[in-house]
Amino acid sequence: MEEKLQASKELYAGMTYDFNLKCPVAIASSHGGVDIETLAKEHPRDIVRKPIDPFRSFKPYMGRAMAAEIGLQGILSIQYANVMNSLWRIFEQHDAELVETNPLAIVGDRLIALDAKLNLDDKSLFRQSTLLNNIEPMPPPRSEGVESRRSRAKEMGIPTYMEMEGNIGAIADGAGTGMLTLDLVVDSGGKIGVYCEMGGETTAELMENTMKAVLSVERTHVILINLIGGLNRMDEMARGITNYLKKHPTKVPVVVRMSGTMEEDGRRILGTEGIQAYGNLYEAVERAVHLSR
Amino acid sequence: MSELAILIDRGTKVVVQGITGKIGSFQTELMIQYGTKVVAGVTPGKGGQTISGVPVFDSLHKAVGETAPEVSICFVPGPHAADAAMEAIDAGLRLVVVVTEAVPLFDTIKMLTIASEKETFILGPDTAGLISPGRSKVGVHPHRLFLEGPVGMISRSGALSYETAKTLTEQGIGQSTVIGLGGGPIWGFTYLDALRLFQEDEDTDAVVLLGEIGGSMEEEAADYIKKEFSKPVVALIVGRTAPPGQKMGHAGAIVQRGKGSAQDKIAALEEAGALVARAPREIPNLLRKKVRI
Repeated sequence: MEEKLQASKELYAGMTYDFNLKCPVAIASSHGGVDIETLAKEHPRDIVRKPIDPFRSFKPYMGRAMAAEIGLQGILSIQYANVMNSLWRIFEQHDAELVETNPLAIVGDRLIALDAKLNLDDKSLFRQSTLLNNIEPMPPPRSEGVESRRSRAKEMGIPTYMEMEGNIGAIADGAGTGMLTLDLVVDSGGKIGVYCEMGGETTAELMENTMKAVLSVERTHVILINLIGGLNRMDEMARGITNYLKKHPTKVPVVVRMSGTMEEDGRRILGTEGIQAYGNLYEAVERAVHLSR
Repeated sequence: MSELAILIDRGTKVVVQGITGKIGSFQTELMIQYGTKVVAGVTPGKGGQTISGVPVFDSLHKAVGETAPEVSICFVPGPHAADAAMEAIDAGLRLVVVVTEAVPLFDTIKMLTIASEKETFILGPDTAGLISPGRSKVGVHPHRLFLEGPVGMISRSGALSYETAKTLTEQGIGQSTVIGLGGGPIWGFTYLDALRLFQEDEDTDAVVLLGEIGGSMEEEAADYIKKEFSKPVVALIVGRTAPPGQKMGHAGAIVQRGKGSAQDKIAALEEAGALVARAPREIPNLLRKKVRI
């Protein structure tokens, strides 16, 4: 049952990372209710930030000092410090990227969290199984559409899946070359419909699944695959592409640019499905944009 | 040409952490083929084997005692990667290249905190490593795309550095050292660290800076270039056409609330006197405007 609360003031309390200082940071403010970035822009002087040494961790006295700095006294300052301590415990134990109570309302002589937020670090989920088991997963989207395609891509392990308005399906095996591919397609007058980035450590299976994801978008008129492998092996990538095409022959043209580790083997394997891979990225982009018209 | 490139040279002794894994063993073989002096490998519990002729030890300290490496490259999986890197820092290595992509944020912070106390450089995490063409490779670069020469290169994305090196190599423009910084959002070694070394390196006549959206590392680099860097810089920022709020494959590649946009980075670099390309293929001519190569 929710009480009707008369808050006399709303505060902010949170823990996150400072990517510039390369450490966790505790954030306190006498202004609550808006998100922290907006707060930083509108009331920079009302924000207190305390960098935290990851080995020494956050100490109760730091919370009390921060409470005093945002103007709290007496019992409220003790309560605020307790909130900060709890946030730190959650942050550290559950590998949070951000944990905050916002707004944290002053109601009489009590502090009450009216809302809270917890963002977990994706790369730490392997050690958060207890927490994850207690979280009810989002129900899968019921209707066919961009949301269901996105959630399927996630299930298949595709790190980046993004849909736009165009008709070119773009696939890359690196974040930097993926962004470059998008920029070049747009510069050449093409329009991206769906974009997948597979990460630098990719398998034939993920390549095959990525083909499936891109072709599940009906407006995909042409697929442009830009592969330049270091960790990624081109023989594996070629196997993924040909495995998909053997199982699901398609009329959608597949333009492949291939370069790097095990390139000869990769080209030979693609040849078995009649695909001649480009070595030159710009020619591949021009070809794909031409085919999309 | 001097024997010593920045960070690594022909004689640099390298230890591979995680040498017995699928990726570690494959990439060790490729590094040895290139001429890198891999003197030891480490996988706890698997000491006594050899991989590609390299002795495997149970602990890094044992490997250091018997083979005296100065530099480590780490392929250890995410849950144990930071621990391995901290062992390397503790053993007194001067450079640790963390190739592992999924290192938990909190672990990354701890690893970087210890590294800064010991003055060890951490490259990464999520990095392709570095290569000084013709001399040594401590990374996963497809080395045929690289050529020895006078251009230094720094990139967050490994794949984008392969792409750009390929373009330069095809035009006969070689590279002194090519450094991958990693996907972020927190980096050990930065553009700034690399520029400082290139400033002092007599084999480097010009620098290619490959950046991407998100964070403010490129802006910090621009500030240093403007104030102190005396060699010509040609830059490329990818992600010009990426939609705001979308993580583009790297954890650090995201435009949030108008911050970290390609436009801002391009403006800062141009203001600092760098020539900014729109694609790798424009880079050779921009370099030729500034240096005789």
